[in-house]
Amino acid sequence: MQSTITGTYQLAGRSEAHPASAIVYETGQIVIQHIGGDKITDCWPDNYQFSDVIPGLAVDLVLEDGALFVPDDKSFRWPQLSSNNLLAEWLESHWLVVFSSVLIVPLFMWSMVNYVLPGAAHAAVAFLPDSIADSMGEQTLYILDKTQLDPTELSLDQQQKVTEIWQKITTQLDLPEDQFKLHFRKFDMGANAMALPDGSIIVTDDIVDLMADDPDALLAVLLHEIGHIEHQHSLKMIAQTTATTMLFAMMFGDIEGAGELILGAGTGLLQSAFSRDMEREADEFAHHNLPQFDISPVAFADAMTLLISSHTLDNKGKKDSAEDEFMSTLNHWLQYLSTHPDTQERIDSARNAEEENNAL
Amino acid sequence: MENGLSTERTDTIKFSGKSGEYFKLWFVNMFLSIITLGIYSAWAKVRNTQYMYGHTNVDDNSFRFLATPMQILKGRIVAVIIFILYMVLSQINPAIGLVMALGFLVAMPWLIIQGLKFTMRMTAYRNVRFSFEGTYGGVIVHFLLLPILGTITLYLAMPWVVQQIQQYINNNLTYGGKHFEQKSSAGQYYIAALFSLGIALIGGAVIAAFGGTAIASAQAGPSIALVVVGIAAFALFGIVNAVYQSIIYNHLMKTLEIEEVVSFDANMKTLPFAGLVLSNILLLVITLGLAIPVVKIRTARYIASVTEVTIKPGIDDLINTIEGSDSAFGEEAAGLFDTDLSIA
Repeated sequence: MQSTITGTYQLAGRSEAHPASAIVYETGQIVIQHIGGDKITDCWPDNYQFSDVIPGLAVDLVLEDGALFVPDDKSFRWPQLSSNNLLAEWLESHWLVVFSSVLIVPLFMWSMVNYVLPGAAHAAVAFLPDSIADSMGEQTLYILDKTQLDPTELSLDQQQKVTEIWQKITTQLDLPEDQFKLHFRKFDMGANAMALPDGSIIVTDDIVDLMADDPDALLAVLLHEIGHIEHQHSLKMIAQTTATTMLFAMMFGDIEGAGELILGAGTGLLQSAFSRDMEREADEFAHHNLPQFDISPVAFADAMTLLISSHTLDNKGKKDSAEDEFMSTLNHWLQYLSTHPDTQERIDSARNAEEENNAL
Repeated sequence: MENGLSTERTDTIKFSGKSGEYFKLWFVNMFLSIITLGIYSAWAKVRNTQYMYGHTNVDDNSFRFLATPMQILKGRIVAVIIFILYMVLSQINPAIGLVMALGFLVAMPWLIIQGLKFTMRMTAYRNVRFSFEGTYGGVIVHFLLLPILGTITLYLAMPWVVQQIQQYINNNLTYGGKHFEQKSSAGQYYIAALFSLGIALIGGAVIAAFGGTAIASAQAGPSIALVVVGIAAFALFGIVNAVYQSIIYNHLMKTLEIEEVVSFDANMKTLPFAGLVLSNILLLVITLGLAIPVVKIRTARYIASVTEVTIKPGIDDLINTIEGSDSAFGEEAAGLFDTDLSIA
């Protein structure tokens, strides 16, 4: 059995070409000859290849020296093509493949974002040397001091009270003193506390004032911040953000138009989601450790309530139920943009932790 | 030589790509890229380009895209590693990030050259490859200094600057070792700019006047009048854009040639092109970008249909001067850092 295909013989490395025919033998041998019948060349499977199989296009026979035989019939597929060569074209020409991928992609993304990425980021953080966290912490504190923070205006007496609480924690939890450090700062944006990757914890003057009468609440807040450090949240955040950005860039970077949008919005939303998970983890750390100090997890709920009241002091007042309902729906959706879980949720989970403790 | 030419042959470019066929190819390749975490995107890029090139036919010969997926994958991996290093290092230490950003600025002209070079060298017609022979200095002058000049002259020099840039790119393109020659004139760029600016101003004034009275006196409420004004403004945008593009494209094609080998002509018309651009935008908006492959096919088909190529006898004697083993790093890095240029 042999078959003859007409086409064009394109010389290697030059623009010259001739009409020709190719005779394909069952053995794999292919003979190319001029239309008149003079042989141009013959070749065996070892010294020819095929160009990629693309829908609607002829498949070129590529000879060893770079010469081509281009069949006239664009739908002709050489019998020597393996199923591997033909697979991509098969996938690309069936709507069924298109529709099934519409289902598979979201599923795939969901598992990557929820399981694979956080897992990989956490594993990677374990390998980072402490010096990285140290230098990141120092630099962050330096930048914050230059931009948003001012020296504390608390009296020595006030500072002493907080330091006593701090020492109670470090002794009880056996935290190394050269790593965990407490800093007092004045911060215009109100009552807050923050943890830096190297183990520094900053409390603002406002939060010390706010919780002056409720040292248990302040202790709960400090435990929450220590939770961030113990769980290496800053580093994990950076690892996760980098990993997601890279993953998204790799997956969508080559897709025009969609790329930038998915990259920007997607990583932003995911970053907030990671951050909320970390806040919950730090909350749990506080709930879990409070009983060691004979303090109920409700102290954390109290701290949250105090913080809420201090931040909403300026805009309380007018309320009607329709507006209320709208706000709660809005809040529900805004949650996806927020870096912290809903405060009510955090208060409730602190109370739940208390109930669980009582049940034990 | 049965296929040899004794005289010139002129015909339009034939584009045989089909929207549905290409949509499937594009979509499946995007899917495979996503589930392989981007690794398949090198294959996807090759197959997408091969489809577009292979369906572009001049004088019974198709273009061929000769880059291999591995070539692109390697370039992409190196570029991605540098990108990761940059992201991580600049998070850890802003100073290192700054140094890297500066180094990147210095490397940018080189990346632009390498990117253009790679794209052209991987493009072949009748087994002969194209190339780009721009120099570092030339790129700095045309892509950095001239645009600054265009800006500080309050855009008065901008049409000339744009002409210089396009002329620079096209003059440095080669095919089979022979240079393309672009003899465009800045005058045409000024005509195109003034003409489209004039239409924009007059059209804008008319829409504002009619729109203003329509909204003021609208019985059916102002929303319908607003919709009409919106549609009119959208159409005006399409027409202004098409006026500029068609004048420039026709002029560029008429003044581009390789002596003894090929010359071009184009007859792009304002209204059909405006219709194409506007319907493409609508398609993209309605489908949230999924219509990209359809838009590409429609655009390629239209451009091909208005472009005439005259093949001259000299084309039969061309010898390929380019080896195909280039690194795709420059092209991939340029793409990753958003500095890649595409040639019209």
